[in-house]
Amino acid sequence: MIDCTEAVRRMWAYLEHALEPKPAEEFEAHLETCQRCCGELEFSQRMREMVAERSATTGVPGHLRVRLEELVRGASVGPPENKA
Amino acid sequence: MLYVAKDKAATEPGDKRPSTAESTFADLLEANLERLYGYCVRLTGDPHDAEDLVQETLLRAVRARSALRDPERTKAWLFTIATNRWKDLGRARGREVTTTPLDVVDEDDRFSLFQTIAIEDPFPYSDELHLDFLRLFRDEDVQAVFATITPAFRAPLILTIIHGFACKEAAAILDIPLGTLLSRLHRGRKQLERGLWDYAVRNSLITIAGEDEP
Repeated sequence: MIDCTEAVRRMWAYLEHALEPKPAEEFEAHLETCQRCCGELEFSQRMREMVAERSATTGVPGHLRVRLEELVRGASVGPPENKA
Repeated sequence: MLYVAKDKAATEPGDKRPSTAESTFADLLEANLERLYGYCVRLTGDPHDAEDLVQETLLRAVRARSALRDPERTKAWLFTIATNRWKDLGRARGREVTTTPLDVVDEDDRFSLFQTIAIEDPFPYSDELHLDFLRLFRDEDVQAVFATITPAFRAPLILTIIHGFACKEAAAILDIPLGTLLSRLHRGRKQLERGLWDYAVRNSLITIAGEDEP
């Protein structure tokens, strides 16, 4: 049986579905007996959602967008790099 | 001497119109501009560095366009180029951005935002104080907190939480083993938790007992 410290350590990997089956099973078994870790898991999920929502849009500044579009459109018509 | 295109999809010399393949390539890049810029902003933590990084990334992408085999993977391909360039920039400045600095001790590992909110109780009349805490943060606040996270731990967070890459994909983009990625994700998370709390206190988003004095 894993303790709270180990459960917290595995929490984000669990949320990322990145735990191997056995560590995931041990984590879930811990959750069944630990209300605190259930609360922290729920909070972790909400925190991740908040961070993702607050980072969803990053407006490209107007002057930069113009330069980047020129770069993409202009340079893409030329030859690919051939380091001869 | 006329340039002889090795890439069959490339435009013939003298033909001013881009071929269908090339306009599609440009479309693929344009469709990813905003995401790529957002990645560069958070990765570097600095708007000027982000501008340089996004331009250099696109320039390299355009030059190496024949290396993009699968258009479905354009985003991961661009992010890999940006990541490699970001590492180069760090090295050039004498700051290795992808290795774990020795001076980062594990005291953040013992910090729990979940517990700290419960103990400090910044919203005494709330019955959902943890959610109220998360509601305090605006876009620019989260961006500022990210800039304080150690770069090696910041990158895995950005790739997985913000850009939705699976851990295996994020590990491939950063060119580190999956186990290293997971360990850094955990440490990044702890720094994020500590960073959110410190930011809220420092910027008076919350008031807690004993924090009134300067």
